[in-house]
Amino acid sequence: MATATEDVLTKVSTEAATELINSFYPALKNDRNSIASFYLPTPTSILFNGNTVADGAAVQDIFLNQMPEAFYEVQSFDCQIINRAYPTTTTTGLKPTTEMTVKDMSILVMASGNVRYGENRDLLPRGFSETFVLVPNPSSDRKRRRDWLIQSQNFRLVV
Amino acid sequence: MKTMKSRRSGGDRGGIRKRGPTRTDRDGDMDMDGPGARGGKRGRGGPSRPTGSGSGSGAGAGRPARSGGDRPQARDKTLDAIQRAITNTRDQANIRQGKNNAASNLESFSVRGWKTSKVSSHRDGGVENLIAFLERRMNAHSKSGPRARVTKSRVEGDSLVVSVRPELADRMLRLNESLFAGIHLVVEPYDASSSAALDRELGTTSGTSPSTADTKSKMTMILSKRYYPDTKLLDLSKLSSDPDLVAMGIFNQTSTESKFFPALMKVWEMGFTNTAQRREAVESVSLAHNQLTAVTAVTTLSQTFPDIKNLDLSHNNLKDYRSMSAWRWKFRNLEFLDLTENPFSAEPNFKETLMKWFPKLQTLNNVIVRTAEEIAAQKKTPIPVQAPHFQDDGQIAENFIRAFFTRYDTNRDELVKSVYDHQSEFTINVNTSAPKAQQTESAGWDPYIKKSRNLLKINHLPARMSRVYKGAEKVLELWKSLPETRHPDMTAHPEEYLIECHPVPGLPDPTGQSPTGVGGLMIMVHGKFEESVGGKVETRSFDRTFVIGPGGGMGGIRVINDILCLRAYGGHEAWSPENQAIPYAVAPAATAAAAAAAPVAVPAAVPAPVPAPLAQPGIPHGYGAPAPGKTDAQVQQEQLVAQMSAKSGMTLQFSEMALSGNGWNLDAAWKNFEELKASGTLPATAFLSPA
Repeated sequence: MATATEDVLTKVSTEAATELINSFYPALKNDRNSIASFYLPTPTSILFNGNTVADGAAVQDIFLNQMPEAFYEVQSFDCQIINRAYPTTTTTGLKPTTEMTVKDMSILVMASGNVRYGENRDLLPRGFSETFVLVPNPSSDRKRRRDWLIQSQNFRLVV
Repeated sequence: MKTMKSRRSGGDRGGIRKRGPTRTDRDGDMDMDGPGARGGKRGRGGPSRPTGSGSGSGAGAGRPARSGGDRPQARDKTLDAIQRAITNTRDQANIRQGKNNAASNLESFSVRGWKTSKVSSHRDGGVENLIAFLERRMNAHSKSGPRARVTKSRVEGDSLVVSVRPELADRMLRLNESLFAGIHLVVEPYDASSSAALDRELGTTSGTSPSTADTKSKMTMILSKRYYPDTKLLDLSKLSSDPDLVAMGIFNQTSTESKFFPALMKVWEMGFTNTAQRREAVESVSLAHNQLTAVTAVTTLSQTFPDIKNLDLSHNNLKDYRSMSAWRWKFRNLEFLDLTENPFSAEPNFKETLMKWFPKLQTLNNVIVRTAEEIAAQKKTPIPVQAPHFQDDGQIAENFIRAFFTRYDTNRDELVKSVYDHQSEFTINVNTSAPKAQQTESAGWDPYIKKSRNLLKINHLPARMSRVYKGAEKVLELWKSLPETRHPDMTAHPEEYLIECHPVPGLPDPTGQSPTGVGGLMIMVHGKFEESVGGKVETRSFDRTFVIGPGGGMGGIRVINDILCLRAYGGHEAWSPENQAIPYAVAPAATAAAAAAAPVAVPAAVPAPVPAPLAQPGIPHGYGAPAPGKTDAQVQQEQLVAQMSAKSGMTLQFSEMALSGNGWNLDAAWKNFEELKASGTLPATAFLSPA
């Protein structure tokens, strides 16, 4: 693996975080059938207000069947690289470091914003804070895939 | 249903429109147009009130630097000044500042004492000299950098209110008690609350005259005639035709009119020594028939009575939402509002606007616009709020967090050295538009904004790079540049924190030995802290996520990532669990069955379904059950925690602490629990419901 320079690492990580914010929150509102596709098949932890949710499919199920329309507005977000060479297990075993690129990083993303549930516009929005860990997509299918998937997620209403 | 209507029909006494027919004196009509319309800010060197118009005892100088200890004196002064305001016909329209320095990032200070200085006889009252003096002294000790300037100034009563850039705040405060033209100046942070403004505005001299006591007793008498304790109504309707007020000459000049209402509120407040009693004394206020064109002149009502449920503003001249915007974020408990016979009532967005502004509003212009059930349902969240998920190994996260904030407040140096290494990263981002707790003013973000890495706003790569602080040295350098903080004591105020934790795999191995990386913990903390800004204490909320892994720091750990998000104070209501009062003796399975069987009390009109799989009180869905990504050991531990919780009545978090502290041995944990319980060591928050 070639050693990436700081500017490339910053560019790649912040663009990955921006992509998550710009695609995940709109999906929660308008494209709930795609929710599961944001997640690693076996995430380590998914929490909504302290409730444990098993996996991406379960999150999608909750949003499709139990959630009123939700209007999210992210007002601030930031990210940091956790591991520049995240150990990805693929179908053929652990990905060798020789095959790794700059995109083999895991990323911590934190968002702060507000959300309003339901059509009633008179309701004051609630403040939320949400933390994600993104890891490289282990799938070898290069077409139509997300580069990073959610390994863990923790949503909390905070106001 | 208890509404204003029923009160009104109960007869004259106690209705919100209490007063019987009174003759309206057209000439005595009250024009309560806001002083802001007439006053405006005085620029530097602008005309100030001539000195010597008061009794001029010269006692203003040399007063203690901090106010607060001298409230009784201030009150007397206020009354004295009200009296003078009423009798002094020369007095010009006031310069009262209605609002804080909104939108500007300046810090304001009140400078007093100068009115008795040698230069006060100058045509401008000495203001020009005073400002020159302040600027000279602020620059006295700095030879480099831009010249310190007073950016804005205005005269308010016996104060010169000066605004300076925040970095000059300390220098300005240091000028307190400095000698200017023969007197010692008093320099204090400016308190923009209107009661303080009234004090300053009216308090040109000290001493209590017999006429002041007379004014107070007259106002007290008027208030007592208009207060109905049995219905908790304060009837301030038709003020301009009140014979007692007319006799006092309140409405003879505009100057006394504009001061009258704040003074009346002040006299009301003086009648109480206990804030809680004061707030409970009044539930309803009527300001009907007062020819109000805006609420600006009576805006102090919202400070004296922030919790009222019923407000009658009928028969005024409020034209549109702008005429009421001063109360937009006030009266958060208002249930009844009457604006009939105001042009505003005919505006297209009338109902929507007011329902939005007052979240508990039920009756508007005598029409029910929302039911109590709908208001209760508003607060329900589609995903029930549960106790924190705290999955810690060997209390590593707990020990880390317990030590962290105390040391962040007291010794950042030591904190960095103990758990941050050359790879640790810290970034900070400010959410400047976050929702806030009710009725709170948010302080500016100056000390932070230049370091904020909000990626929505920081788009250029060089800025994104320079706002990452990597390595213990850089982290410390940044922390030292940030304001000092005080976080609440975690043991004494656990409710003010929400802390969650879970394991995270795949962290970089500092030794480079493990190709699969190492495991660690992710800790997410939500809470608040206090910070001193130019002598004032500000409360802010924060969200902070840490990734910690094994390392060479204290306790065998190191901080890999630390992201801090700051936002306006938002309280801690949001994370108090919705299902706190569950009977603790019920086993988890039985609780779940009961919850599933119980009818869900959500009105059909409101789309706030409670998802059944998530609704198990106390025990989050999936807890103790196998799930993808969960190890068998984890499932076993969760099952033990659930057992411990059911048996002891403790929260999952405390049950887990008890077990992990006793090697996951249920018997040992139980024994430990009984000992702790017997010795009274366990806090009330350890239990799901009061034991």
